[in-house]
Amino acid sequence: MIERRSTSRLAGAADENISPPDVRFVRVPSIAERKLGADYVAPMRLDPRVLDQMQATIKSLESRYAEALKAQAAMLRVLVEPACKGDAEARGRIYSIVHDMRGLAGTFGHPMLGRFADSLCGYLEQSEIVEWKEGAVIRFHIDAIYDALENPAADPTITMETLNALERLVTTAARSRRRIG
Amino acid sequence: MSGAPTGADAELFRKLKVLVVDDSAEMRRLLKALLESMHVGEIIEARDGAKGLDAFAAHRPDIIVTDGAMQPMDGYEMTRRIRAATAGESANPDVPILMISGHVGRENVVHARDQGVTDYLPKPLSASVLYEAIVAAVSKPIHFVEKAGYRGPSPKRTLEARRPDADPLS
Repeated sequence: MIERRSTSRLAGAADENISPPDVRFVRVPSIAERKLGADYVAPMRLDPRVLDQMQATIKSLESRYAEALKAQAAMLRVLVEPACKGDAEARGRIYSIVHDMRGLAGTFGHPMLGRFADSLCGYLEQSEIVEWKEGAVIRFHIDAIYDALENPAADPTITMETLNALERLVTTAARSRRRIG
Repeated sequence: MSGAPTGADAELFRKLKVLVVDDSAEMRRLLKALLESMHVGEIIEARDGAKGLDAFAAHRPDIIVTDGAMQPMDGYEMTRRIRAATAGESANPDVPILMISGHVGRENVVHARDQGVTDYLPKPLSASVLYEAIVAAVSKPIHFVEKAGYRGPSPKRTLEARRPDADPLS
């Protein structure tokens, strides 16, 4: 593919007597222009039918994801004790599971579960080994994830209070770590 | 951006080749299904940054959609390497790179921008955010800077994570 390029005047490419600058500014035609050539009509529109189809796709994957989510939540409960006793593989698997939940639960209609996972992920990303041994913050998060999955119709006020409490725990743990450090 | 879609849009999407890089099999499944719903013609998958680089060189994708945090190589490092490649050594260093990440803090977005990420999509991902980002990536001319060791979007530009709740059709 031949790219049509234009350098800006700032680049000074037109005058060979001037030494080339350190930075060149380049414009490449859009992918649409390159693929469609003269057929391309700008601006491209968002097609509501495509968006509907994408929403339907998410809906169709929901039940499959719900099964995976249940299995993941159960696995977190299995892994938490060995992880807090020093099992590095269990720790890695816990992080991997909650990282997955953070990314996907909200998309598939479990926003609060996703936020619990996000809070736990944030904690684990800054956690030291000694805190795994204490484990309370991790256990509380995993219980909250499990409850959110088991009781999706729970009072949102209470669920939000739980999240706030967990986030306070994480903040307190971070402060205490800074004091020790 | 709204209004009647053009016939060219559907034809374009059928000609698109998108590389999806994510260490979560569930996330790859979701992204593949959503891209298929958009009628994207070819979707290639890779499970981390290193495999993403291999797939990038082998398949010459038009767009890369990547996770941020992955092991052993993350999406930031993959992006840095793609942008660091000089002409001839890499398949297409001008390729738009869309990063999907749960880390939407300013520090993370700035880090992504500095590595050469084109657009930053927050997790949890919504259909509208992905669709809007792909349309922007294919329809906007690509402006980039070229300097020693870097060829990609300007690291001085403003980049913010897309807002998950905005309705792109309104």
